[in-house]
Amino acid sequence: MSLSKRIIKETQRLAEDAVPGISAVPHDDNLRYFDVTIDGPSQSPYEGGVFKAELFLPDDYPMTPPKIRFLTRIYHPNIDRLGRICLDVLKSNWSPALQIRTILLSIQALLGAPNPDDPLANDVAQAWKQDEQAAIQTAREWTEKHAKP
Amino acid sequence: MVDDEPSIRFASAAHRQPRLLVRLLQCPQCSKPFNAPVHLPCGDTVCRACLPSARPRTHVSYPNTPDRLQSIVCPLPACGAEHAAAECCLDVTMNKLMELIELEMSKYRLPIGDTPTRLIEKLAQEDSTKVGEKEMEPELGHERVLHGGRLLATFTMAQMGELRYNSEVEYSSVQSSNLQLDEQQYEYESLDIAFLVQLQEAAGEVTNCLVCYNMMLDPTTTACGHTFCRRCLTRVMDHSNICPLCRRDLHVPASLQNKPSNRRLSSLLDLLCPEILADRLAALKTEEQPGNETLDTPLFVCTLALPTMPTFLHVFEPRYRLMMRRCMDGNKRFGMVMYNRTGAPQGNLGPTHFLEYGTMLEIVNHELLRDGRSFVEARGVGRFKIQDHGMLDGYIVGRVEKVEDVSLSEEQDAEQGETSGSHEYATRFLAANPDIPLPFGVALDSMPTQELLDFCMRFVNDMRRASAPWLSQKIVQVYGEPPANDPALFPYWFACVLPINEEEKYRLLQTTRVRERLKIVKTWIERIQNQRR
Ligand SMILES: [Zn+2]
Ligand SMILES: [Zn+2]
Ligand SMILES: [Zn+2]
Ligand SMILES: [Zn+2]
Repeated sequence: MSLSKRIIKETQRLAEDAVPGISAVPHDDNLRYFDVTIDGPSQSPYEGGVFKAELFLPDDYPMTPPKIRFLTRIYHPNIDRLGRICLDVLKSNWSPALQIRTILLSIQALLGAPNPDDPLANDVAQAWKQDEQAAIQTAREWTEKHAKP
Repeated sequence: MVDDEPSIRFASAAHRQPRLLVRLLQCPQCSKPFNAPVHLPCGDTVCRACLPSARPRTHVSYPNTPDRLQSIVCPLPACGAEHAAAECCLDVTMNKLMELIELEMSKYRLPIGDTPTRLIEKLAQEDSTKVGEKEMEPELGHERVLHGGRLLATFTMAQMGELRYNSEVEYSSVQSSNLQLDEQQYEYESLDIAFLVQLQEAAGEVTNCLVCYNMMLDPTTTACGHTFCRRCLTRVMDHSNICPLCRRDLHVPASLQNKPSNRRLSSLLDLLCPEILADRLAALKTEEQPGNETLDTPLFVCTLALPTMPTFLHVFEPRYRLMMRRCMDGNKRFGMVMYNRTGAPQGNLGPTHFLEYGTMLEIVNHELLRDGRSFVEARGVGRFKIQDHGMLDGYIVGRVEKVEDVSLSEEQDAEQGETSGSHEYATRFLAANPDIPLPFGVALDSMPTQELLDFCMRFVNDMRRASAPWLSQKIVQVYGEPPANDPALFPYWFACVLPINEEEKYRLLQTTRVRERLKIVKTWIERIQNQRR
């Protein structure tokens, strides 16, 4: 399958002009498939953690959004057990003018600002709303346990 | 200087057409270089200040958003239409381009030295014979001596307001203080090329389409003033009706069929960057083709279609909208295949989600609805078997091999072999078992092809007399009268009208003998007759 100029350019820019705390490297044998790492934002319960994710550009990208999933376990009201992420720009609010870089930045921002009112992981959201301090503590512990190299 | 820019050197001859190039940057209304250019629905551009003010629109009630109830009378003589005020928006790309050009110009002015050229404005016919107070005296054009080569000098003259939009320019040499005349020509061309390169760089900076990251091809501007390649915008519209950049609702027919391109930008890029655009077109051809060039048949996974018979489709999925558009731009053909509902392995393909045999369809009628959906009428032109498959922009593409009937002589041999063989068997069978009906297969094999067809036609006629709903006048109007004299095609017609499941009809696609098809049809008929008994 031919790779569009857009994907080639995006990949180049991701390598040449990297975003601090984010990396996305395409597989050699499938240039639509990226290994992603996102550093937990400072002053969040994910600080110090390095979260692995996989990102895939579907065949009709950029008409449809990239598919992305966390591989590292993470305690977050908008990320479920399978690593799926509830984020509007990955769904109905996707626009072809967005790009891999902006999506990864949005996800990093989501780590810094969990939104238990729009949950994907209901139990986590519940815990978050009932006792935010305890939930944040759990998130920290999970970061310590799963996201430290 | 020239050799530093090898890619640009012969890329564009635009520096030899300074008047043409500068005109593209001039407002057709005030003749000055565009200032806050507005893109009009008719495809041209004028400065914001050159637009007459909006006025309430009368006799319009739909769509009645407030901004659509204001209209602007197009100031361009070639148009003169009433444009909805909402659709006359700042042309974001053109505006950035003009800003960059002015910036470059101010930086560039200094090192040009004493390089004079005389420019004489030659008024166009209509401008020089304008009816005014000096009716008898033809108006004269301006004359200036300006520096920096022809291109810059011409642009400068437009900036000064001394070059009317329709005027031509006559250039002549003026003795420079430090250059011989023969040096001058070389020096001026260098200046022109240098300025052209700056224009090209400015254009390159602002005319990247934010959907495909290439230089805009056939730039098309939305009502919000954002510009994309026409095909990129069309593809975006397959998915949603909002501008990818500002998310404004676009209220355009998704097809963009009657929407003019951004003529200014388009001509400008054609003139400035012909090579980039040519590369782009070539790249596009490969991009729109599957990487593997033999996967050249787009495949629509949907329903059963049959040779020579019509198929009607309602296309609403974005990927199939795209596929239909590409088909319409190409040979109008695509393959129709059915879903593989049982997940059975499909020959070498393995358990694909579609069946391996299909029908090649040719689009007869493509009716595009306002929202981008479409109704397609297509006709079967042949059968195929998929050899290999891949994906292209969300839909399946395949390498297919034609499936055709055996030659007529082979067909005749088969008929002869089958009928005579089973005839002998039948004779022996009946002699031994006079009271038992012939086994079904033997009875079927012993029938000559013409008799098979007659049997089927008798059934059709009986059913029509009995007013079977599946043979109503309406159905016959769509699929035509039965091909009563064509045993090869009759089964396809019959399968189209007969209400049995598609998997059974699918067997017809795999046949390579007329007899084989008729025999399949006959088994359907006998089953129906048995059920009715
Ligand atoms: Zn107009
Ligand atoms: Zn103007
Ligand atoms: Zn584009
Ligand atoms: Zn917009």
